[in-house]
Amino acid sequence: MTSIRNLAGIGLLSIAALLVACNRSEPAPSPAPAAPAAPVPTLKIIATSDLRDAAPLEEMVRKATGVAIRFQFGGTMESTEAVLSGKTDADAAWFANAKYLLSDAQGQGRVKLQEKIMLSPIAVGLSESTAKKLGWDDPARAAKVSWKDITAAAKDGKLTYALSNPATSNQGFMALMGVVAAASQKAEVLNAADVDRAAISAFLKGYKLPGDNSTYLSEQFIVQQGTRVNAFINYESWLLSLNQSGKLREKLLLVYPNEGVSTADYPLMLLNDARRDEFQKVVAYLKSEPAQLWLARTTLRRPIVPEVAAKVTDLLPSQGMRVELPFSPDRALADGLIDAYLNEFRAPIASTFVLDTSGSMDGNGRRQQLVQAIHYIAGADSSLTGRIAKLTNREKLWLQPFSEQPYGRTAFEIPGGAASARGVQIQADSEAKQKVLGDVRDFADGLRMTGGTALYDAVLLSLKNMLEEKKKNPNYQYSVVAFTDGENNKGRSLEQFKRDYALLPEDVRGIPVFMVLFGEAQESALQDLVKTTGGRVFDARKTPLYSVFKDIRAYQ
Amino acid sequence: MSKPLRALLTLALLAAFAGALFYALRGQKQEQIAQQEAVAIASVTELSGLIALDVEPYFKDPRVQKLLAAKRLPVKVTRVGSRDMAAKAVAGAMPEFFFPSGVVAANQIADAARQANVNVSQSSPFHTPMVIASWEPIAKILVANGMATALQPKVYSVDMAKLTAAMLAKKRWKDLQGASAYDVSRGVLVSTTDVRRSNSAAMYLALTSHTLNGDVVTDRATARQVAGKLVELFKRQGYQENYVNGNFDDYVSIGIGKTPMAFIYENQLVSYALTKKGIGADMVLLYPSPTIINKVVFVATNERAKTLGELLSNDAELQSIAVEYGFRIADVARFAQAVKPTGLAIETRLSQVIDPPSYEVMQEMIDVVAKEMTQ
Repeated sequence: MTSIRNLAGIGLLSIAALLVACNRSEPAPSPAPAAPAAPVPTLKIIATSDLRDAAPLEEMVRKATGVAIRFQFGGTMESTEAVLSGKTDADAAWFANAKYLLSDAQGQGRVKLQEKIMLSPIAVGLSESTAKKLGWDDPARAAKVSWKDITAAAKDGKLTYALSNPATSNQGFMALMGVVAAASQKAEVLNAADVDRAAISAFLKGYKLPGDNSTYLSEQFIVQQGTRVNAFINYESWLLSLNQSGKLREKLLLVYPNEGVSTADYPLMLLNDARRDEFQKVVAYLKSEPAQLWLARTTLRRPIVPEVAAKVTDLLPSQGMRVELPFSPDRALADGLIDAYLNEFRAPIASTFVLDTSGSMDGNGRRQQLVQAIHYIAGADSSLTGRIAKLTNREKLWLQPFSEQPYGRTAFEIPGGAASARGVQIQADSEAKQKVLGDVRDFADGLRMTGGTALYDAVLLSLKNMLEEKKKNPNYQYSVVAFTDGENNKGRSLEQFKRDYALLPEDVRGIPVFMVLFGEAQESALQDLVKTTGGRVFDARKTPLYSVFKDIRAYQ
Repeated sequence: MSKPLRALLTLALLAAFAGALFYALRGQKQEQIAQQEAVAIASVTELSGLIALDVEPYFKDPRVQKLLAAKRLPVKVTRVGSRDMAAKAVAGAMPEFFFPSGVVAANQIADAARQANVNVSQSSPFHTPMVIASWEPIAKILVANGMATALQPKVYSVDMAKLTAAMLAKKRWKDLQGASAYDVSRGVLVSTTDVRRSNSAAMYLALTSHTLNGDVVTDRATARQVAGKLVELFKRQGYQENYVNGNFDDYVSIGIGKTPMAFIYENQLVSYALTKKGIGADMVLLYPSPTIINKVVFVATNERAKTLGELLSNDAELQSIAVEYGFRIADVARFAQAVKPTGLAIETRLSQVIDPPSYEVMQEMIDVVAKEMTQ
């Protein structure tokens, strides 16, 4: 019977095997076994710099969706240009305002999908005491404040404000558009011929603190509130954040001019169609309640999803009705207004370029880099950002070379252009302007590199020179820009420089020093210096010198 | 244990096993049939289609996907702007179907396909009238100025002839009678999308051209003349969203300050009301009088896709699901019933509906406006 038992045993086994087979309930065999998931490349997102406060989303999105994202921050104009020209390798773009991009056929072609994520209107934040003086602390009056009132207050010196550069940023540009709209009395969208030049120039009388990004401007505003500026024009979210920070001398009262303001709507845009799936996952997460609530609570932007917005009404001012300023897609208006701002309306720039001509500048193509950079600002780059870097009408420039000691300071002045009473358009360079630009380029070509590095002597001398000039012509925007590749080894030490700086008249504090470093320059010492003088350090080892120039211009 | 007993036991066990084996095998057979079915469905090639944003949620609905799979007509769809679709109708890479919003885009696609030697068939499984989403204070101002009349709570009829005249006369809101609730200096304008890119703006052009001309525009000379006058209704808006959800999103999210009146598809507001169980406190629905109907047009480029088009039109379940996304179907009563719980008093019978101009006339008018917009 062993055989039968064996048979039974086999039977048992096979039945068991069959049952196991049957229990494996696969509805349909997949055509091919799933390949091990290939690592998904990071979704690169080019983002406008006012979104820096949303950077923690990188981690949050990864956790919630498994999609790794990375932000690359830049100014609005710069980022717009990168997407327009197709020069960016980003898979997606996230701008406060994409209307410049999307009113251009080429720009539309680059954007495959778009979805608005959140909202923040531009507002005028007034120091409480200033609001009181103007009588705008009364809510009924505040609701009626117009860009016209703001322009009048700026003209009379009652309103001095911080604003990011109208030529490089959306906030600055849209503030100008508000003034243009108010002055034109037109009921609809504007064009280049509508620009009332007198109104713009009156409004800009109050423009005392320029800069190119909200982080820098917020830091500076905290320091200069009540002395140089009493208002800050920016997205509501940044103004509310400043109020919350507890760092202000007095809180800001937010006014939304009644002709209308522009609201940033933060569209997230797909550029690389191959990344559609991940893009849609990211969008779905960003529009989900947890992400919308986080954005509202942490960055004080308004949720795009009305149901979520209803849950955070305690955080955000419920300022009745805010009228939206129509956005003009007229490129002639945008280009003409930016051109006129730079060359005519803004306080003209007066700066000394402190040029390191020590022996070490001869090596590694550094001399060539410096010469090229000067050619660049005195040349003719007609790109959106190139126009910003270029020397503008009425600008004063001193070139101050140094090695063992400062020597051979040379002054240049760009002549002003002819202006009409109304309307804006890009003006070609006059012959006189071309002549001066040529002189600047010739000077750069003549630079010879030899000797040591008396950096602090050269900077101090230049500051004194700017102080003298400022006394004679207070209506310019003064600054010192120093280029160096090495450590200070001649003349004053940093300690001596600080002592001597402290002895200069108080007026020197309005003259920032921008340090551009390349080569072996010691960054910590330069940081130390700008902490004393105000200003910023730019690292030309990581960024080409010509793009550093573009950045610096936005702070001048 | 005795030998016979042991043998008996063995036999009994064997019988039991045999039974189990039989059932197991039978179960396996059924399983196999089910598996073959699943394999068959899965192995059916997906129909590739380009669809407009309006019908994307419909195709994403799991019920729709399941129904189509069961009919051996699964789809793989990609969302593309309606007016960008014609450019994708190229020989060698022809999608099997297009589902654009509007007859204009459908005709463009058909044209492009013909040039690639592909014959198409068109059908319209669902449709929706064009409406204006607005706000109670705005509706009241329109009523005070004789441009609108109340039909139901939150629902008004707006006289397109009077509204168009006011817009062309460059009236500002603050210039109107009883405008204290909206005394802003912006001009009276209906927000639309970009006519160069989007169907809903073309529908607005079709509607206002009828208003201005007093009748359907039928010849190209009149088309040019009328469109030339209507350009400013688009141009004066400034920047326009180039997809219809952008316009509606602004209406919902930013509100009256940006978008006092938005020209949208009725299905957008109905679907919003269905999801949110009603509409916001101040939101109102304006029916233009006359109005114009937008058809969502199914364009098939082969026989199998044509079958899908017929299915979408005729399958009761698929039609019911379309109603949930706010579309109207041939069965008006079903639509009305579905919307009822939202409290939105839609007009089931639209009395004044105009015909759109012919394809050539429409194209002529769009060209005139587009050219002016680009300058």
